[in-house]
Amino acid sequence: MVALIIFWSLAPVLWILISSISTRAELYSVPPHWLPQNVTFTAYKNVLISGEGFRGGGGISAAELIRKGILNSVFIAVITTALVMIFAPLLGYAFSRLTFRGRNLFFYIIIGIIALPSWPVLIGLFSVFSAIGLLDTKLGLILLSFTFRIPFETWFMKGYFESVPSELEDAARIDGCTHIQTLYKVSIHVVRPGLIAVSIISFLFTWNMFTAPLVLTYTLRSKPLTVVMTEFIGQYFVHWDLMSAAAVLAIIPPVAIVLFFQKYIVKGLSAGAIK
Amino acid sequence: MKKRFLNWLDNRQHLAYTIIIPTLFLLLCFAYYPAIQSFRFSFLKYNIKMPGRTGFNGLVNYIAVLRDPQFIKSVIRVSYFMSIATVLVVLISLGIALTLNVKFGGRGILRTIIIIPWAIPPVVNGFLWKWIFNGDFGALNGLLFQLGIIDKYQFWLNNPFVALNLSIFMFVWRYSPFITVLFLGVLQSIPNELYEAARVDGAGPLGQFFFITVPSLQRVGAIAVILILIASFTVFDDIYALMGFDEATKTPMIYNYEVTFEMGRFGKGSAMAYMIGIFLFILTMLYIRMSFRKEKA
Repeated sequence: MVALIIFWSLAPVLWILISSISTRAELYSVPPHWLPQNVTFTAYKNVLISGEGFRGGGGISAAELIRKGILNSVFIAVITTALVMIFAPLLGYAFSRLTFRGRNLFFYIIIGIIALPSWPVLIGLFSVFSAIGLLDTKLGLILLSFTFRIPFETWFMKGYFESVPSELEDAARIDGCTHIQTLYKVSIHVVRPGLIAVSIISFLFTWNMFTAPLVLTYTLRSKPLTVVMTEFIGQYFVHWDLMSAAAVLAIIPPVAIVLFFQKYIVKGLSAGAIK
Repeated sequence: MKKRFLNWLDNRQHLAYTIIIPTLFLLLCFAYYPAIQSFRFSFLKYNIKMPGRTGFNGLVNYIAVLRDPQFIKSVIRVSYFMSIATVLVVLISLGIALTLNVKFGGRGILRTIIIIPWAIPPVVNGFLWKWIFNGDFGALNGLLFQLGIIDKYQFWLNNPFVALNLSIFMFVWRYSPFITVLFLGVLQSIPNELYEAARVDGAGPLGQFFFITVPSLQRVGAIAVILILIASFTVFDDIYALMGFDEATKTPMIYNYEVTFEMGRFGKGSAMAYMIGIFLFILTMLYIRMSFRKEKA
């Protein structure tokens, strides 16, 4: 049973990894070479460094395509995550520790986004983006993924704040700390596990994002890795060696994060789904 | 000056509004306003490729969607997709969660490994399986051939029904880990004393399973079903990568994209998006209500 679970979870990923280091001859052999006899990194060289042109590339080399895609993806995901890391604790603090007029109303407006279906938004967004010049920009994608993550993260952080006692914060307030000082000197340590969870999930969400950039970007100036990968698919021919290498590169960051922060993710996921 | 500002900011009302307003502004610009825009589009004759011929159209777009045989077929297709996917995800996740709930060496590592499929970008997941299902050199062909199940390579994705089932499989593979984690969380919160008490009362392993494990999973199970229904209805990236706009796997999401962004028919596309949206909205509200109920309990 355990062996079956390991096979189920890992085999497809291992297969793409093996494909990415196989020679073309072995990649296109029948029956497949499950373990490559000659290991080669040509595909990685092609998508990262030397980058020969490829059929269907439209004059852009494979390396240029993937390098740009990776840079864009990293930039968009890192900035979005940073914004979430700044705003999620602030919003969580505001909705759990501060009383102010319209608190419930504002909270419902924010988490209302969760119930808002994404498809109508995306169609309208196309015209909003083109009206204010955000079409095909990284800034547009950053603002967009922030907009769609922050409701979940606010909801989660509010819950997290409410689940930890506020005595330490009250003491800090009595000692003369301002709200901001209390938040950054005291609360932030208490809610750190929650903050790590929301940051990771925001990063994964942004890195994996596909539909919105597919609609809202059209040049290498802003296309993320997920979108540039689709260009290895021609009408009749798919470059499976390049595709495998690019797929591995796209899989590495999220999988590394999952392996590294597993315990926070499990907490974040379950708390996010059942509160 | 700075001090005065800091003092002003320390008022809980001022601080709260200062925090909330930037976020609220973004949400209004990039979520609520676009939704209103496309609602307006849904009543227009509006093709982005011919913006000059835009005009009010009443309910024509909505009627056109409902009478579009392609749309009806896509709804039937996705209903099949959702039912099979829900059953499979629940069964597989439950199986894995129950196995991982038993104490054994290496359980921690295994728990990490099983989340991996969930972390893969969905569009990459589509490419991954497109390569595995490949008719000329795919691993599925290779495996079945070497096991002697098939005697020559098959073009699996050329058969519409097989392609639909394989795309369900692909979704199930990516989405099960998430549900497994939910189940596992609940399984671990069942106090051991409950099982001990049952043993004392003479309940065997099966009795314990049906009288303790199953009832404890009831609420999370219901939430899981709604989550899977939403996720399997909205799956787009994987199918787009695996099949493109192929008829065989054209779900409403794929068809909606094709109508709107490939054909440029923003009017009809918006109407379709709203019809899909209402359905999703109902599911999401159900989900939110159920999750909140637990919070209060």
